[in-house]
This record gives sequence, C-alpha cells and structure tokens, in this order.
Amino acid sequence: MDFLAPYRPQLLSVMRIAVALVFLEFPSAKFLAFPYDPHLSGMSPFDWPAGVSGVIEGAFGLLLLFGLWGRLAAFILSGEMAFAYFIAHAPQGFFPLLNNGLAAVVFCFIFLYLAAAGPGPWSIDAARKTSTI
Amino acid sequence: MDFLSPYRPQLLSILRIASALFFLEHPSAKFLAFPHVAYFDNLDPLSWPIGISGIIETVFGLLLLVGLWSRLAAFILSGEMAVAYFYFHISHGGILPILNMGEGAVMYCFAFLYLAAAGPGPWSVDAMMGRKTVTA
Repeated sequence: MDFLAPYRPQLLSVMRIAVALVFLEFPSAKFLAFPYDPHLSGMSPFDWPAGVSGVIEGAFGLLLLFGLWGRLAAFILSGEMAFAYFIAHAPQGFFPLLNNGLAAVVFCFIFLYLAAAGPGPWSIDAARKTSTI
Repeated sequence: MDFLSPYRPQLLSILRIASALFFLEHPSAKFLAFPHVAYFDNLDPLSWPIGISGIIETVFGLLLLVGLWSRLAAFILSGEMAVAYFYFHISHGGILPILNMGEGAVMYCFAFLYLAAAGPGPWSVDAMMGRKTVTA
C-alpha cells in the first residue's frame, strides 16, 4: 500500500491548494457575495468578529493558496481557526458535528500540519527556493 | 518561520488522530446516537447509501485512528469521501462546498489522500509494530 508514497511531496501541495480553495470560499462569500450566502454576504470588513476575520482569511488564504510565505500563512490561519472554534462554535455545543464547527477544527489541524510541513513543491516558496518542502 | 519543522512527524500523527476522531463522529451519530442527530434516527446499517457508508466509516475510521494499516484505511476513506461528495453533496447544493454542506467531505478527501501517501506518523500502531512508515 505504498504506491502513493513517491507522490507525497506533490500531494502535500495538492492538499494545500484544495484546502485553501475551500477556505477562500468564506471570505469570498463575505465580501464578494460569491457564492451568495444569506448569513455571510454583504458584510463590512470592519465587523467584529466575522468581517475582520474575513480580511485575515482573504489575505492569508491567498498567500497559502499560492504558497508564498506558506508556513507563516498556515500558522496564522490555524490559530485563527482555533480562535473561531472556541468563540463561535464551542458555545453552540461540544461536538463539531452539531455546533457547525467541523470545518473550523479540520482547517485548524490541517493548517497546523502545513505550518510544520511547508507548502510543498508546487508553490511560490519552492520556486523561490526559500523555505523548502 | 521554521520553528515547527522539527515536530512535523508528530504533527502528522496529530493530524491523523484529530481528523479520524472528527470523522468517527459521523458513524457514531449514525449507529450509537452519540451525539444524537435526528436525521439518523432508526437508521438501518444495511441501508444504501447512508448505512453502508457508516459501516465503512466505522471500520476504516477506527483503523486510521489507531494507525493500523492506516495507508490503506486512509486511501479507502479518501475514495469514499470523493464518492460522498459527488453522489450526495453536489446533487443537494451544486458544485461549491460552502453551499452544499460538503466542506467536511472535501477536506477529509484531500487530507486522507495525503495520509495515504505520508503514512500514519510515529504515534501509531504501524510504527509500534516496526512497520516501514514514512515518518518525516
């Protein structure tokens, strides 16, 4: 069952890109109404906490998507998701399945791993040969 | 920004354990009503597709949690999540995860695919049994 092991570096980048794209839907829905979401769209970037967090998500989500300063972006977003989970979701219940916080916790742990593992070979960081896979 | 790099192997195991625990909430809600989700009340384990998928999720989710045959378990679950996304979520809310409630399925799909390639990390039954694992 090791046939995927040779592709591990590439799959690290694939996971980073896929998760960043899913993540960027949230700031995009908040500020660009794309996709339109009745709870999120039309938000001011200065609303606390959802608007301000949208600015953080947009800025560092794009950096993570392209893999520029990927470790730093992933670390900040991991912390943001931990914060979001405890202030927004945990008060609604203990189980991520029921408090709508499933995405936040899964983002949190994936981003934490990406902060340690780096952005992988398909990234601006790798092209610039600064931080490595 | 490399201060976490030395802990990459351990964080790989943490990612595996955390994602497996969250993942196991789904079959647990389906069959044990823990936590209780009204949608899953009186679910027949042999019903297609929710019951059958719950059995797959239980068996391979537990293997992934403890890190036993975890590349295989992660690979199967990654494929299962891809099927769930295309079979269930897209038909319920279009292609975008934020609108079709499929973010969980997409993220599990890609995280498990990575775990199938990366292995379970050092904190796993596979590692304890001395199986060849990629832990870096």
